[in-house]
Amino acid sequence: MSDVIVPTSDVNSETGVIVEWKFADGARVEAGDVVADIETSKAVIEVPVTASGFLLQLAAQDAEVPLSAPIAKLFESTEALEAHRAAMKAEENAAAEAAASAGVRATAKAKARAAELGVDLASLDTSRLITVKEVEAAVQGAFDPASLPAPLAAPEDTERVLLIGGARGATQVIDIFRGGTGQTAVAIVDDDKSKWGTEVYGVPVVGGSDRIGPLFAEGAFDAVVIAISTSVAARRKLRELCASLSVPLTNAIDKTSKVASEVTMGRGNVLCAFVQIGTSAIVGDNNFISAYNSFEHHNILGSDISTGPGCVTSSRVKIGDRCRLGTGIFIEPGVELGEEVRVASGSVLLKSVPAKHTVKQKVVTTVVVPNR
Amino acid sequence: MIYSRALNEALHRALGEDARVVVLGEDISDPYGGAFKVSRGLTTAFPDRVKTTPVSEQAIAGISAGLALGGYRPIAEVMFGDFLSLCFDQLLNHITKYHAMYAGQVTCPVMFRAPMGGHRGYGPTHSQSIEKHFLGIPHLRVVAASPYHEPYDAFADFLAKDDPVLFVEHKLLYPKHITAPTDGRVGELLASHAGSEGVLPSVCLSLVPREECALTIVAYGYEALLAASVVEKLGMEDELFCELVVPAQIAPVDFAPIDASVSATRRLLTVEEGTAGWSWGDRVAASIQRSHFGRLAKPVEVLASQPTVIPGARRLEQEMLVGAHHIEQKIREALS
Repeated sequence: MSDVIVPTSDVNSETGVIVEWKFADGARVEAGDVVADIETSKAVIEVPVTASGFLLQLAAQDAEVPLSAPIAKLFESTEALEAHRAAMKAEENAAAEAAASAGVRATAKAKARAAELGVDLASLDTSRLITVKEVEAAVQGAFDPASLPAPLAAPEDTERVLLIGGARGATQVIDIFRGGTGQTAVAIVDDDKSKWGTEVYGVPVVGGSDRIGPLFAEGAFDAVVIAISTSVAARRKLRELCASLSVPLTNAIDKTSKVASEVTMGRGNVLCAFVQIGTSAIVGDNNFISAYNSFEHHNILGSDISTGPGCVTSSRVKIGDRCRLGTGIFIEPGVELGEEVRVASGSVLLKSVPAKHTVKQKVVTTVVVPNR
Repeated sequence: MIYSRALNEALHRALGEDARVVVLGEDISDPYGGAFKVSRGLTTAFPDRVKTTPVSEQAIAGISAGLALGGYRPIAEVMFGDFLSLCFDQLLNHITKYHAMYAGQVTCPVMFRAPMGGHRGYGPTHSQSIEKHFLGIPHLRVVAASPYHEPYDAFADFLAKDDPVLFVEHKLLYPKHITAPTDGRVGELLASHAGSEGVLPSVCLSLVPREECALTIVAYGYEALLAASVVEKLGMEDELFCELVVPAQIAPVDFAPIDASVSATRRLLTVEEGTAGWSWGDRVAASIQRSHFGRLAKPVEVLASQPTVIPGARRLEQEMLVGAHHIEQKIREALS
């Protein structure tokens, strides 16, 4: 057996098209015969054979072939040729089968991790490239849906509350309820699968946010509190999710906080310990107000706001939707913050801030040295 | 279909559909059909409007300018992009200025097509990517051939507007297949089009959605093909995920798709085959660093070829011109 190679030094072409086979597939050819014409981007090249034998074409007429690989093979006998053709066919079939079963695309790292963890890659979402993240998520998510805990039962005279978010914010809300607000946290949902089945202060994490609707329909709880303080975007998204499911939000107001006369308050607000809301203030929905905040009389707060501890405002201050305040902030009378304003800890605001702006603070570094 | 053939068909189509189109160039007559065979068959099909010229780039540029002033749409083939220096005066002082100098009474829409690029051992004066010297000429659009863009779109864009265009074609693209995005994919890569209204769209390529990418790479022409291969390799092997943005029009730059990608990745690497210094990437870096000031995780990295003469020896050329190994190294550094 020998190879038939295209005789070209054309560095501008990597492939050529077979214009014509001069001999039929399987035909006898003699050394020196031109067996094919190949057209490259530069020229039409004649392909001669350097030996005699039976010709096995490796590509059809009009097919494009790489110029670096043989376009045909020569055999001593018809039998040898047919045997090789059969072997080639078998190889092709095997390759096609392998390709069909290799529909799963995964990175090398993901394959190694899957082997380590015993995860079947085909069981994952194969519409995307599978990475280590998906493999590890699959292990975390390897739970039996029926094994997810059920919400707790609660005395009939209390409001049964579902908390969204099973991190540290949940501990604050549960603590508020323990102070005797007439509310009980009966369950927590969190989209982090690793939390499923765990408990926060004895309250079970019963699954992800997709369980809010079904659990409400079952009558497992009466209202929702969003116990996430770190992201105002998440607070908004989850509030809108609850609205779309017609699931009501409820306020969680610590017993030690003081809500003054004639305050108008929406729903879904969390007021931690020692919060003061002054007279005639208006508070929107779904705000997470940390401990020792004081919003003086005639303040107007929007919705989905989150604050750190110790924020103090003077009178007639307005705080727009989705504002995020750091720790220990003082705001002068009449100052207005637009939507999505972020304020760094320790700021003192003397004038208003337009929407979607950040108030930065020059950090006064405190130097810490070992005792001498 | 390989690029040179698609380009040849695009020229046939442009000549067939628009009677204003004329094609000029050296040795473009049949049967030779141009040094890279891109003009094959044109003199046979359109003998009145496709003409071989004397060996004078100044003449090609000057005649093209005259034809354009007279209402034609000349598409001039410059045999090697390196020789565009001989057209520079016509382009800089005449073709791009007539419209303004004659108070808008005339237009001078000439397209120069020029094979650029090295990696072939053609030496110092037949391997360069000198388009950077043409970037920033007011009223000149520079468009780069790419494996992800159909060449006819560049002609359609030229014919629809009244400005001169320089179309640079990396000669290593000629034998490569065009792989324009189909069904949101280019091979293993997710692919989408992005760009501002009225500008040839950029193609965005990545293995995973943009939000999961940690670096944006912007590259055009043959370097885009190299970058795509590295993006795929580093993603599949090491989960270093990058998004590659491949513009067609490289000047003026349409920053919208780059901005959008960098907003997600917060890192940018520019790649070009031209020599370093005063380069396309420098310009992109300046703009992105300005528009994303304070939000970038790292300064923008600019990868370009070494600022020296392209050697004739292949081994030395491989070190001097930006290759896949240089791109890989830069990406690893950027993500380390």
